[in-house]
Amino acid sequence: MGGKGQTLALRISGGIVAIVLLLGVIAPFIGYDPVADVDYEAQLLGPSWAHVFGTDGQGRDVAIRLVKGTEAFFLPGLLAAAIAVIGGALAGAVAGYLQGIGRSVVLGGLQLLDTLPRLVFIILLCTIMNPSITLIAGVAGLLFVPAIATVIRRKVEALGSEDYILAHVAHGFSPARILLYHILWLQCRPLLIRQATFVFGYVLFVETALSYLGDYGVQEPSPSWGNMVAQTRDLAGQAPWPWLFPALAIVVTIAAFLSFGNLLARRDEEAIR
Amino acid sequence: MRAVPLILAALRRLAGSAGLLIGASFIIYMTVRLAPGDAVDAISPMGTPPEVKAQLAAEFGLDRDPVTGYFAWLARSAVGDFGESLVFSPGESVMAVALPAFKRTVLLSGLTLLAALVLGLGLAILLGEPGPRQQVLTAPAYVLTAAPSFVVAVLFAQGMNWFVQAFVEQGGYETPPWFPIPIYSESLMPYVFAGFAMLAGDGLFMDWFNTLRAELLSLKQAQFITAVRAKGARTVGHIARNLVVPVLSGFSARLPLVLGSVVIVEYIFTLDGAGYVLLEASRARDFPMVVGLSVLFTATIIVVSLIADLVRALIDPREVARGG
Repeated sequence: MGGKGQTLALRISGGIVAIVLLLGVIAPFIGYDPVADVDYEAQLLGPSWAHVFGTDGQGRDVAIRLVKGTEAFFLPGLLAAAIAVIGGALAGAVAGYLQGIGRSVVLGGLQLLDTLPRLVFIILLCTIMNPSITLIAGVAGLLFVPAIATVIRRKVEALGSEDYILAHVAHGFSPARILLYHILWLQCRPLLIRQATFVFGYVLFVETALSYLGDYGVQEPSPSWGNMVAQTRDLAGQAPWPWLFPALAIVVTIAAFLSFGNLLARRDEEAIR
Repeated sequence: MRAVPLILAALRRLAGSAGLLIGASFIIYMTVRLAPGDAVDAISPMGTPPEVKAQLAAEFGLDRDPVTGYFAWLARSAVGDFGESLVFSPGESVMAVALPAFKRTVLLSGLTLLAALVLGLGLAILLGEPGPRQQVLTAPAYVLTAAPSFVVAVLFAQGMNWFVQAFVEQGGYETPPWFPIPIYSESLMPYVFAGFAMLAGDGLFMDWFNTLRAELLSLKQAQFITAVRAKGARTVGHIARNLVVPVLSGFSARLPLVLGSVVIVEYIFTLDGAGYVLLEASRARDFPMVVGLSVLFTATIIVVSLIADLVRALIDPREVARGG
């Protein structure tokens, strides 16, 4: 399936992912003072050589704020992806390996986490304690553990009866070694990569949604893609540029992360087969 | 006797759901207790009079240790008493405000999921087997529908404004007298657009479409369908009956996602639903309101998945036999 088109899509989405990650790495080293950038003589300009993506309602350069805005979700996204993938893989492997009471306990705990509606719970958290974006991302990662654990558990259960796994057991390998190396590392990597990109995309989504909807997420004057869209939405009719570029950045980045994960996983699955 | 194991399975699921409800409400309650500093000060809006604070503390059992406090709160919540709204509509009981709003939200989410199902199934039947040509076709659609629901909703809200304006300039659209329901009405329009925004956003539709297509394909290639075809019988009924179980699972599995995006979409279209109330209450730090709605959202997910489970057990005896 796929062939040329798939390779091209993989390259395009991979390129976008690489650019966003690169921006996330270099953004902290760019000196940027959001207050000094305010220029009331250059409000809401269209794209030009001086301001590649135009300026916002306070005359700040949209391009540099877009680059600096990657800081808002880069580390939190990595954190959430790490929590979700490590937690999900371990919980899934344990649930797939254990039998009887232990299995029921792990499954029940996972099901419990799974019933909490993610966004509603995050809004509840925001109402109570005005959490930092890092904490929000951590909770989001935790709420993704059950989804990943389910996928991994099915895989572990399916592989558990395979001859070569039984051969490892007969050979006297420890269950931890078989679960962690032979099953999780060798067989579940594509699955985990796909889930990690998904969770990363979700953190970007939550950060943008929260700054869009309320006073949560990253606070002004620090730029985040979400608060850039939120601030300029009322002006979008008369000056579309400062709204359009961050909105496009969000859509393109989330789409790229999702499809990159999917395509990469599909290619790896084909390679394993 | 098929009935006995069926009833046993139903009871087991009921007990499981009750356990989930208690566990989830405990997590929500403990989140409240996590509030930094003095919990009552943290959760009450600025300028709350001390007697209201004392009442709040009593309602949420904040003056006791977490466990007994939780059970005191649970005993009230179990009968639907989530206290009184502080800011959003002061003095009214949370349930009186939340319940009508919640009905609208459930209706909107349910209808959206249903529309996604009908459209997805229709497209899956029309397009049939995935091939390279369709990948070219579906790739742009995939990118479009991967957009987060609030971006889609903002675009749609703008589109709705133009749409309504165009109609007003034309002098409105008259529904023909023979048509039973009004085709165009200004109060309905936001709901229709919001529904489509939720449908397109977050990849909900594309995701369901892909699942349905894969399901349909594996059914068509199944041996029993070949056997039915070999006998010369029609396969449509058999395929339809076997699609019911995955459709039900899909419905209950996607509900949490939809109940998340409905919050955002309602807010953008300012629809008077639970999501809108939740966000407004959250911004105003109307604490009892937010907790009550969070419990309602969670309970809905648990109840819907219980119903889906029971129906599945009823129509597919294998589920019961598996003891799941």
